[in-house]
Amino acid sequence: MIGNKIRHDTTWNHRDDRYGCKRTRNRGGDSVHGCKVVVIRVNLQSPNTSRLRSRTLNPNQNMAKFSIATVFIASISLLLALTRSFSVENPTDRRILVLLDDLALKSSHSIFFTSLQARGFELDFKLSDDPKIALQRYGQHLYDGLVLFSPTTERFGGSLDVAAILDFVDSGKDLIVAADASASDLIRNIAAECGVDFDEDPSAVVIDHGSYAVSGTEGDHTLIAADDFIQSDVLLGSTKIEAPVLFKGIGHSVNPANSLVLKVLSASPSAYSANPKSKLSSPPSLSGSSISLVSVVQARNNARVVFSGSLDLFSNKFFKSPVQKAGSSNKYAKSGNEQFVTELSKWVFHERGHLKAVNVRHHRVGETDEPAIYRINDDLQYSVEIYEWSGSSWEPYVANDVQVQFYMMSPYVLKTMSTNKKGLYHASFKVPDVYGVFQFKVEYQRLGYTSLSLAKQIPVRPFRHNEYERFIPTAFPYYGASFSTMAGFLIFSFIYLYSK
Amino acid sequence: MGKSPTTKDDAQALFHSLRSAYSATPTNLKIIDLYVVFAVFIALIQVVYMAVVGSFPFNSFLSGVLSCVGTAVLAVCLRIQVNKENKEFKDLPPEHAFADFVLCNLVLHLVIMNFLG
Repeated sequence: MIGNKIRHDTTWNHRDDRYGCKRTRNRGGDSVHGCKVVVIRVNLQSPNTSRLRSRTLNPNQNMAKFSIATVFIASISLLLALTRSFSVENPTDRRILVLLDDLALKSSHSIFFTSLQARGFELDFKLSDDPKIALQRYGQHLYDGLVLFSPTTERFGGSLDVAAILDFVDSGKDLIVAADASASDLIRNIAAECGVDFDEDPSAVVIDHGSYAVSGTEGDHTLIAADDFIQSDVLLGSTKIEAPVLFKGIGHSVNPANSLVLKVLSASPSAYSANPKSKLSSPPSLSGSSISLVSVVQARNNARVVFSGSLDLFSNKFFKSPVQKAGSSNKYAKSGNEQFVTELSKWVFHERGHLKAVNVRHHRVGETDEPAIYRINDDLQYSVEIYEWSGSSWEPYVANDVQVQFYMMSPYVLKTMSTNKKGLYHASFKVPDVYGVFQFKVEYQRLGYTSLSLAKQIPVRPFRHNEYERFIPTAFPYYGASFSTMAGFLIFSFIYLYSK
Repeated sequence: MGKSPTTKDDAQALFHSLRSAYSATPTNLKIIDLYVVFAVFIALIQVVYMAVVGSFPFNSFLSGVLSCVGTAVLAVCLRIQVNKENKEFKDLPPEHAFADFVLCNLVLHLVIMNFLG
């Protein structure tokens, strides 16, 4: 029973946890997966020697058998209960810890939370200074995702701190962090470790006199209507978000050289980050489109993190309110917040954009089994199946830019694989005229998708001495010359002997 | 009109004397000479071919040229030993010389076949 749950696919990033078990794809989960399982064989048959006494002891033996069976079943079900986190077969997160600094957030953000619960997530709400907060127990992570809606918290309760949260992300789990105008140093530090730099001025918020949200009262233009989204169907869904998103909070910047951080919602070119109550004495350090309002980080172990500069972005008030951007005459009855947040949460909790690659196969053209070694100038075929998780099942992934490399220090062959639209990608090519130990490498990193990094080693040998061609065509004149001298010798000897 | 002998006349006279002297050689020696010319001709063809195409299967080239050179050398040896005007080999029966020639050719062709590749 336990054996059936173990499934290994060929995506790598193995990491040993402290019990020496290999975690497939570094997504952690509980340590049962990928472990060597100790199979408990319960010997229910009595040994031979007791057969002589069997008649008198039968009732006792039956009781023993029954109790052993119940213990067995109980332990199995306990382990099964622990395996209800995400697994290789079901990568969507299940249990999410939500840390709030004010329990009123539970009701003021209820639309967001109930939509998450409706999608099947188990939310565990705690106050951020609750001393019983624990992400790990006995080496196992208790949650698959963490939502930090506690921007003002200076210290978390329990054993949670910046290092624990980063460890959580390092083990492959997901994180949503919302900051606010009063963001504490703790939140800023977490963000800085992930590559997102909030404005250092603690009293600065994002102000935009060009694209603020039009409201009845004349505000200080800190409530902005942003519609500069990143172009990505994976991150934000295939339906375009028509209405702008209402935002009120602080801005952050990301390093453009960092390829793992993406700006999902950027501010308009007229935005800047400053204190609305005081006069500006120097030009603001953050301004224009380089201000990011919402960013995502996809780490190399495929953990996903969302940083939002505004906690109100998730609130019921912003979900339900109508929006009109200053300077445009379009009035939208409902802001784009709900659609934006829903789509982004689908991405961050691995309901979308999660790929797996299985069934790597290679063989010579015309054969079916995998050889252990290839010869130079062989024709071979390589195939791999790539699936995308749709939230409930694995669908075939269709793309036309997956490439396979035949690599030894540098790619000798680089071929784009063709697909049969059912998830199978294949390519055929000729082994190069170089011998050595090569690797079939598939390195696939696309914006918003998990990265695939497959490598399979295969040696390549030169010709055996009897695999060269027997007669070399360029040498035919030499063959002819040698045979003609032999014939000439025979003819000469006949003529010499039989002439007078 | 006897002009003083020019070089052209000398060359012609030399050529004529060579031709008349050569026609006096016995027939069997002429046959051997023809054989040597044939071998050298084949060798020249091979060298020209190698200059054009390149020396890729060098062992085959060497084997072909060596067979021609070897046959030429052995034929010349036979001619020396069979020539009646040669005082050194006066006591050597021509059959003995011919038998040596055949055996050496056998060894030569064995080596050639091996090295041809």
